[in-house]
Parts: sequence; C-alpha cells; structure tokens
Amino acid sequence: MFGLHYKLERKAVGLVLAVIVAASIGGLVEIAPLFTIDETVEEAPDMRLYTPLELAGRNIYIREGCYACHSQMIRTLQDEVERYGPFSLAVESRYDHPMLWGSKRTGPDLARIGDKYSDQWQVAHLIDPRAVVPESKMPAYAWLARTPLETENFGAHLDALRIVGVPYTDEMIASASSDALGQATPDGPRAAGVAQRYGDATQIRLFDGDAATVTEMDALVAYLQILGRLTDAATASTAANVE
Amino acid sequence: MDIGHEQLVAFAKSFGLFYLIALSVGVLVYVFWPTNKKRFEKAAKTILSDEDRPWQ
Amino acid sequence: MVSQLTLGERQGALCILLLLAACGLLMLGAGQNDPLGVHGGIVMLFGVLLIFVVISGYFAPEPGTDAAGRYYDDPSKVGIVLAMLWAVAGFFIGDWVAWLLVYPEMTFDAAWSSFGRLRPVHTTSVIFGFGGNALIATSFHVLQRTTRARLPDQLSPWFVLLGYNLFCLLAVSGYLIGITQSKEYAEPEWYADIWLVVVWVVYFLIYMRTLARRKEPHIYVANWYYMAFILVVAILHIVNNLAIPVSFAGAKSYSLFAGVQDAMTQWWYGHNAVAFFLTAGFLGMMYYYLPKRADRPIFSYRLSIISFWGITFMYMWAGSHHLHYTALPQWVQTLGMTFSVMLLVPSWASAGNALMTLNGAWHKVRDDATLRFMMMAAIFYGISTFEGSFMAIRPVNSLSHYTDWTIGHVHAGAMGWVALITFGSFYAVVPWLWKREAMYSARLVEVHFWFALAGTLVYVFAMWNSGITQGLMWRTYSEGGTLTYSFIDSLVAMHPYYFARAVGGLLFLIGALVGGYNIWMTIRTAEGVKPEVLADLPAPAAARQASTGR
Repeated sequence: MFGLHYKLERKAVGLVLAVIVAASIGGLVEIAPLFTIDETVEEAPDMRLYTPLELAGRNIYIREGCYACHSQMIRTLQDEVERYGPFSLAVESRYDHPMLWGSKRTGPDLARIGDKYSDQWQVAHLIDPRAVVPESKMPAYAWLARTPLETENFGAHLDALRIVGVPYTDEMIASASSDALGQATPDGPRAAGVAQRYGDATQIRLFDGDAATVTEMDALVAYLQILGRLTDAATASTAANVE
Repeated sequence: MDIGHEQLVAFAKSFGLFYLIALSVGVLVYVFWPTNKKRFEKAAKTILSDEDRPWQ
Repeated sequence: MVSQLTLGERQGALCILLLLAACGLLMLGAGQNDPLGVHGGIVMLFGVLLIFVVISGYFAPEPGTDAAGRYYDDPSKVGIVLAMLWAVAGFFIGDWVAWLLVYPEMTFDAAWSSFGRLRPVHTTSVIFGFGGNALIATSFHVLQRTTRARLPDQLSPWFVLLGYNLFCLLAVSGYLIGITQSKEYAEPEWYADIWLVVVWVVYFLIYMRTLARRKEPHIYVANWYYMAFILVVAILHIVNNLAIPVSFAGAKSYSLFAGVQDAMTQWWYGHNAVAFFLTAGFLGMMYYYLPKRADRPIFSYRLSIISFWGITFMYMWAGSHHLHYTALPQWVQTLGMTFSVMLLVPSWASAGNALMTLNGAWHKVRDDATLRFMMMAAIFYGISTFEGSFMAIRPVNSLSHYTDWTIGHVHAGAMGWVALITFGSFYAVVPWLWKREAMYSARLVEVHFWFALAGTLVYVFAMWNSGITQGLMWRTYSEGGTLTYSFIDSLVAMHPYYFARAVGGLLFLIGALVGGYNIWMTIRTAEGVKPEVLADLPAPAAARQASTGR
C-alpha cells in the first residue's frame, strides 16, 4: 500500500494517471448511462424535424446569443408550468444540436413561445422591443429585417446534422436551399414542396410580412413560432407530475 | 455488450460509492502514514528558502 | 526576448510561424464567403507579425552557456502583462454589458453591439484571457522555483503563451462577427478548439519535461493543482467540443450531442471549468504565493493533499446541479446535489488552510495590502463555495436557478476569489521577476485593494437582492391561486439592482486600471533595480518593509 503511494508521488506520470482516473469517474458515471436513455425516454412518434428555414432561424438565435437571456427549459415546478406551459420533456430536444436549455432568464422562457403571439407582434417586438413592451431590456434587432437570408449550400447543414443523428432524408438535403426560401414565400413555386417534405402542419407564410426578400427576420420568426410545437408529447403527459 | 439502461444506472450508482470510499481511505492512509510526516514538513518549508537559480 | 532563444530555436520559431501564416492564408482563401475568412486573416496577421519580431532579433548573439544556471522568466513576464491587458478589456466589456441592462438602447442599431454577442466577449476575456494568462504565467514561475529546475527549452513556453492568446483572440473576435457554438464558456468553433488542443498538449509536455528534470525530489502541492488544471481542462475541452463542421471552408459546426446528453455534457464541462480552471489552478497559485509572501509555511501540508484529492474527485460529479427539475433523469440530479454538498469539505479545508497560515501573522495582513488581497481571496473562496453547495440543494435551486443569484454567486467567486488571488500574486511576483525591491507604489496597491473589495461587495449584494427578489416574485401566488406578478413586473423590479451592479463593476474596473498602472510603472522604473542583486527574490522581509514603508 505504502510503496504504491510512494511511487505515485515520486513519479510525475503516476500523479498524472491518478488525477485522470480520479477526475474521470464522475463524468463517466453520470454521462455514460444517458446514452442508453432512449430506452426510457418518452415516445414521440409525431415529432417532426426543423425545416431549413427554422434551422436557419435557430442558427441566428445561436449567433445572436439569445440563449444568454432566454431559457428553453420549463422545470417541473407548479409556477413555471402555470406561467410557461407543460414542463419540458427530454424528447423535445432530441434533435437539438446543441441544446439551448439556457441558464438564465433575464427575459422569459421561450420553450413554448410558438404560436403564442402573432408574426406581426414578433416582428414588431424584434425591431423595437420597447415599442411593444415599454419596460423591456431586450436589444433591438431591426437590422435582421434588412439582412437577406443566406441560403446557399444549405444542404450541407442538413447533411452535417444527419451525421450526428437527425433523420433528414436525401430529398430534404437536396432541396434544402429551395425549401428555406419556399417556406417564407407562400405564393411562390417552391412552397408546395415544403409541406410535402415536412408535413402539412408546417407553417408556410410571409413571416416578416415582406414578400420581396426572404430575410433573417423571416427565419428567426419561423423558428420562434415552432418552439414547443415539434411534438405534442408534453401536452399529452399533462401537468400531473408537477412537484 | 448488451447492457440495458437499468443495469448501467445500477452499476453507476453502486460503483461510485465504493470508489469514493476506497479513494478516501487511500488518501487518508497516505497523508497520515507516519514516515511521510517528515517529508511533508520539509516540503512545506522548502519553498520559503530563497533560491535564486536552479540547482545544478 | 528573441535573444534568449538559441539559433536552432529561432529557426524553429520561424518554421512554426510560417506554417501558422500559411494556415491563415488557407483559411482566408477557403472561407472567402464565410466569417472563417476573417479569422484566416487574423491568424495570418498574427503569424506575420511574429515573424517580423523573430527576424528583428534573429542575428542577436546567442545566449551563453550560463543560461542553464538561471530560471527562464521572459514568458512569465509577458504573460503577466497580457493578463492585465485582458483584465482591463474584459472588465470594461463586462461593465459595458451591465450598463446595457440599464440602458438597453445603447446598441447603435448594429449587430455586434447587442448583449448576446458582447456577453461571451466579457466572459471569455475575463476567464480565459485574464485568468488563463495569469495561470500560464504563474505556473511557469512556480514550476521552476519548486522543482529547482529551468524550463526545458526557450521555444515551447512562447508557443504555449502566444498560441493561447491567439485562441483567445479568435474567440472574442468571433463572437463579434457571429461565430459561436452557443455552449457557455466553450463558445469558440471547431478550428479554434483544435488549435487549443495543440497548445495544451505542448503546455502539458512542458510540465512533464520540467518535472522529469527536477532536482527537488518531492513535487510541491501547488504543482499538483496546476497539473490537475492542465489535465482535466484538456479532457473537458475535447469531450464537450466534439462537433461536425458543416464544411471545412466554414466556421459553423453542429454539436455531436443533442438534447439531454448535450445538456449534461455541457454542464459537466461548465461546472468543471469552474472547478479546474477557476479553482484548482488558482489554488495552485495560492499554495505558493501566500506562504511565500507571508514568509510562513502552509498551515497543514497534509490538509492540502486531502483537499486536493477531494476536489479532484468530487467536482466531476457536481455538474448536474445545473439541471435540477429539468428533463435530466432525477437520479443524476440527486447525485450532483449530493456531491456538491460534500464538496464543501475539501473547499473549506483549502480556505481554512490559507487563513490558518496567516494566523499569528495578522499584523502582516494589516500592513501589507498584497497579503490582504490573498487573505480576502481565501475568505471569498470560502463564502462562494459555501454558497455553491447551498445553491446545489434542489429546493434552494428551484428559487435561485435562472435568476441573478447565480450571476451574484459566479461573481463572488470570479471577482472575490479568482481576481483577488491573482492580483495578490501579481503584486508579490512582479518585483521578484523584474528584480525590483518592491512595487512602484505601495499606496496604489492599497487603493486597488479597496476599489476591488468595494466593487465586489456592491456587485454581489446587488445580485443577491435582485436574484432572490426575482425568484420570489416568479413564484408568488395571490389568494385567488393565480400568479401575482407578470414576468415584466419582475424585470421592472430589477432596474435599481442592475444600476447598482454596473456601478460595482465600474469600481472593480477602476481598481484594475490602478493595478495595471502600478505594475507598468514598476516595470518601467529603473531606480528599484539593484544590479548587484542577482538574487531572484529579495528577502521577503525586506520586500514587505519596503512596500509598507516601515
């Protein structure tokens, strides 16, 4: 026993190995079992995927650091369920690479913001938050409405997501750029394919009210309007389990 | 390997406890081993001696 | 600085820098239509600039053979200056975003200026820019003194220091132009992450090579902490940043993990970045500079070893307390909570060890602001680790989570512990490194101390108040059984606290500016130099008397 310790301390390599072993146990024990969690997690056969436009909106949400002030995780607490809606389930973020649960609510939780407000409200609020909510502390994002959405080569994004486990089909990947534009131009020729590939429930409309160009505002609002609406699993599981 | 979630969780929970106890005992034995006392005292003091250059 | 490198090392440096500049050019070309191109330009400029530096000193005479008889401190000196620059920049941005929450209109209708983009600039500048440079600089100093051996060569320490700063530069510039992974404290994208791994491996090898050549058989405990910092940060960084790039010609990547696995991995990382970057590394600093400055051996060397293994083992379990009441399985939450509470034992053992070391030398603490910085750091370490364990308890967390209380807790640790121990260590080591008798002005150290302490207290109290108020308002029910306050009611209630917080941050920033000026003047002032003193350290007693003017 003692000899071992003696060597451990004498040899720098021993110390290194001991540190690695001691430090990695906790992570292994807590993280490893999560990779078999699919066996126990809720089923959500109706779960649909982010469309290219929504994904682009999600990437804007990430780029602007929205997660620094808005969580997307309703905890199993009575007041949260009453304020924000049914608590979040693991299955709801199964396609979220990365997850955006957040850690701080300088602004309210957004896990179920989808369809709570109209597109017009969202656009007006993003352009000038204080015009809609005078006490708001949110930065103004007026320039999103002036910035055309970059959709070139969008298939590569879906392809990368397929590699990490999101079941996009070849057809979805091939028509990703076209679908991104189509979802925000309901009267255009590209719109029909979007519903066909992503389901009839897909919201296809002029999100920012401007038919001339598809902007980053379109994408962000499309994303906000789908939050919490990818599956009905949470509503179905009811608020009975609230602590 | 065909290990289900339940087994993995059970193993994780029990193994962690045993590991914690073993590590604590190991560290305490090492720290309080009588012959180590002198070396620890020397180590604590030796950084205070002014050394302006590496030992050759 | 180049004159201290051997000819072979100068050639090696040129090769590395040419390679770096070529990589930058490649990124610039491949990422023409992508933010990646901007980073290519930065990498290339960085490489070219340093090529000029090396060439300008290329033909200087080589260092003599007597160099082996001296410690190699140039990288530590530059690291300290860089750390102070990052500190001022990071505190400034931090205070700027604090004012943004008071006056949200100050964004000039521009993309880069919003809270969401600037906040990671603040956290990265402070944690990685200021904290990281301080750790690298002091670790090289402590490593050499405690092993009584010189660094293995003159090139690799520069590679680590400058390479690390390139990483920090890529990180903060990336957020401003919209490059981020969104993982808190791990925001930089895949290419910057890969670069950091390379830098980190070299850092680790410097440590191992120096230890292998050590003349002092026992490895002093401060080095254990520094080693745990290097090793575990490497593990955390690699695992949490696993991602698939969309294309090698673009910055964007998608995390390998999703949903609940990603959340657990992220907070396993996030919490242990606090543990091994902001705690273990700085404990290493404390275990060397505090005894040294107080001129007393550490109170209990045994206790320092026990707390080392306690911290190394238990911290890794605690990350899941960031995910209480979420979709994470409850047994993982409970495990995280249990270990978080147990963590209090090794944490308080460390804090107590530091304070007991000073017991019997309180007159030194009274007279010497440098030592007082370190003592106050140990006290804040004790406070914030207690607070951390407390907040990890599920019912407490149900109130505190998502509120400003978390922000207050983090800043009690970051300002009170990390920054104060760093400033204390800097004020101790700067005169030693630059062969001065004392700091330029003992009075300015005193001024910095009070600014830093006042700033921390104002900040932390403001956030405690706002956090608890917020948490309570969110869960208050009226007699009719409905929620009393809307979200916006709670936001309105925060306004005075946000103002106070910004003022606290401003005080802390002013303190750092005073500190930076003092350190700069110490370096600039030639009068303190005693050419006949080759000794690396002036006698501690003499230094103390000089600094207090007694």
